[in-house]
Amino acid sequence: MDIRKFLSKYGWPLLLAALAALPLVGLVGPGFSSHVLITILLTAAMAQAWNLIGGYGGQVSFGHSVFFGIGAYGAAFAVCVGKTTPWPGVIVGALLAAVTAVIVSYPCFKLKGHYFAIATFAVVEIFNRVFMIWDWVGGAVGLDYTILEDGWRNFTWSVDKRGYYLGALALFALVFTVTRVIERSRFGYYLRAVREGQETAESLGVNSTGVKLTAMALSAFLAALCGAFFAQYNFRVDPPMVMSLDMSMKFVLVAILGGIGTFWGPLLGALVLIPLQEYSRAYLAKLGSGVDLIIFGLIIILMMVYQPGGILGILTGTKARKARLRARLAAEGGAK
Amino acid sequence: MRKIAAVILALALIASAGAQDKVIKIGTLFPMTGPVATAGQRCQAAVETIVDIINGVYPDLDLPIAKKAGLLDGYRIELVKADHQGKPDVAKSEAERLYGQEGVFAVIGSYNSSASKPASAVAERLQKIFMCGASSSAALTERDLKYFFRLAPTDRIEAIEFVHWFDELNKSKKAGIKTVGVIYENTEFGKHAADEAKAHAQKSGYKVVADVPFTVGATNLNSEIQKLKAANPDALFGAVLGADYSLMVRTMKQFKWKPKIAINFCSGYQDQKINEQLGKDGWGFMGSAGYTPEFGARFMKGVAPVEAYFMKKVGVPFDSNSIQEAVAIYVLALAIEKAGTLDTEKVAEVLRTATFDSPLSMGGKVKFESPGGQNIMARSVISQLQDGAYKTVFPYEYKDAAPIYPIPKW
Repeated sequence: MDIRKFLSKYGWPLLLAALAALPLVGLVGPGFSSHVLITILLTAAMAQAWNLIGGYGGQVSFGHSVFFGIGAYGAAFAVCVGKTTPWPGVIVGALLAAVTAVIVSYPCFKLKGHYFAIATFAVVEIFNRVFMIWDWVGGAVGLDYTILEDGWRNFTWSVDKRGYYLGALALFALVFTVTRVIERSRFGYYLRAVREGQETAESLGVNSTGVKLTAMALSAFLAALCGAFFAQYNFRVDPPMVMSLDMSMKFVLVAILGGIGTFWGPLLGALVLIPLQEYSRAYLAKLGSGVDLIIFGLIIILMMVYQPGGILGILTGTKARKARLRARLAAEGGAK
Repeated sequence: MRKIAAVILALALIASAGAQDKVIKIGTLFPMTGPVATAGQRCQAAVETIVDIINGVYPDLDLPIAKKAGLLDGYRIELVKADHQGKPDVAKSEAERLYGQEGVFAVIGSYNSSASKPASAVAERLQKIFMCGASSSAALTERDLKYFFRLAPTDRIEAIEFVHWFDELNKSKKAGIKTVGVIYENTEFGKHAADEAKAHAQKSGYKVVADVPFTVGATNLNSEIQKLKAANPDALFGAVLGADYSLMVRTMKQFKWKPKIAINFCSGYQDQKINEQLGKDGWGFMGSAGYTPEFGARFMKGVAPVEAYFMKKVGVPFDSNSIQEAVAIYVLALAIEKAGTLDTEKVAEVLRTATFDSPLSMGGKVKFESPGGQNIMARSVISQLQDGAYKTVFPYEYKDAAPIYPIPKW
């Protein structure tokens, strides 16, 4: 079988199997590298959740930290206030995020392009302020976990990170599989059609509002699951931690860096950005304050200036350029 | 990318390979970047000052750790720096890295209460020591942790003192303070401080007439100050730090309003930069202080020479926060010496039970409550900015100036 065909058919399940095997061969444990691995998987899942509406649907949302935050609060509320396991909170949080997404997006979808993006900025600020003064969910002080028994029931582990790793992997697999299914379904084609030209799509009978709302709800649901994981992983949630433009930017940046609107883009973005962020902070902090952030910022600027197509753009760019050159040469040859 | 990461890792390992054998690694976890970076960097410098003194020989200093080089039988302290950027999630993962990857014996940190909380929870899970200098949220020491030790006075201790000061003014000066207002940054620190202030004021019969939160780093406090002006409380509690504090005072001037007495939590107003920025406009305002250079010169004889070393690093004297971080590493060093071992359990037990002499602390002693880890000897005084200097006005046994009451009108 052709290697490319083989990879496109079996590449995804093989990658998952390889990732699932990592703890078995002792590569995941209590160390810092495991933290980086977990953060890569979580961030890739977050960016892919955003990519559904932001990339495939072309609706650049800066509001995803709101849905992420609702998910995080769902889990933390169940544990800290409800004194139960996080699981009911995870489900309720994700559903609430989806409902919120529909309610908030419906008016926002009447705006297009930059105006839509600006409106979503405002949504983050509104939710941030509301959660800041809402004492029932901890207000500005936030919700803190007490020390719970390790294990899947509470979804907390104190030292060993294998549980978190498997949890992050499951989340990653879920979000990416959903994306793959949508990408190849009729709904996925509708979504891309709306991105390319809403009026054209509508003239062909696509209910653009319905398509966008469905994608947004699904995207928010998945983002909320990531948020719940984040709260469980950090044993704490407060509004600036989760519902902030900072966090929203993470969703957008990783997807754009990797390659917006592509299946592998979010993973590639996370693979580059997260180790860079974590290792530079950890090992360059001693050089002086902020050296890590300077390097980090520089790479993002260079990337945006020279390859707006993202890392995937770099990887496929050379091939595409060659093909274009060949086509031009052939055309010129034909004209002679 | 992996290659780059590997190269960075290798460089870091080479950089740290020069260390000697007899080394105690201690982690420092402060906000070295982000909105409170200056405070974080001063805290870091304070810890470094004490570590220099521990590792070297300084016969001119009157500290037990200064007389010989290192701790125990020649162990040097090596600091491993980490930056939490003011973010709780980063604080948590950096604490894990410090204890797990770097193998530090203890961590000193983390300035922001919201960062100290998750970072010290990591320590507790690993049963490792966490020394907290400056974080002031009372909630930190209400978790009954066994490996957490906090030096600074809490918001609660300060709130009780503030209300006591109002009572005193009412009695001795017929000050007529009846109503109070609070203005606070909407963060873990601000919210907590404001709650404590309201609770203790109400308990003592004062009426809370204004409750005004604001967002940190605000560019405009007009509506907040207008709200205060409308309610016109006699006394104002503030949990306002740094640049926000300057903005608050300027906006008060703009609206031509001042309470009779304004008092700020957690040394938020005690910063030479604020003093210079505000000039005369800042005079008359009050705040708590865990340390002022003037106070140090009069009542804490051991501080001046240490402060001279600190000033060489950062160019400014200790403030209430940085000095607490210095005490944190100092007390840890004393505990290691006293335990005579690097066994975490034994050192922690010394920290839980012993009373330490600390020339760098107001009151001269440190003793931790167990469990919980609050320094029950922590003191703070109330100071007032008078003619450009922070003068101690209460408690009376420490006062070096009479209070100016009420604050002169604009």
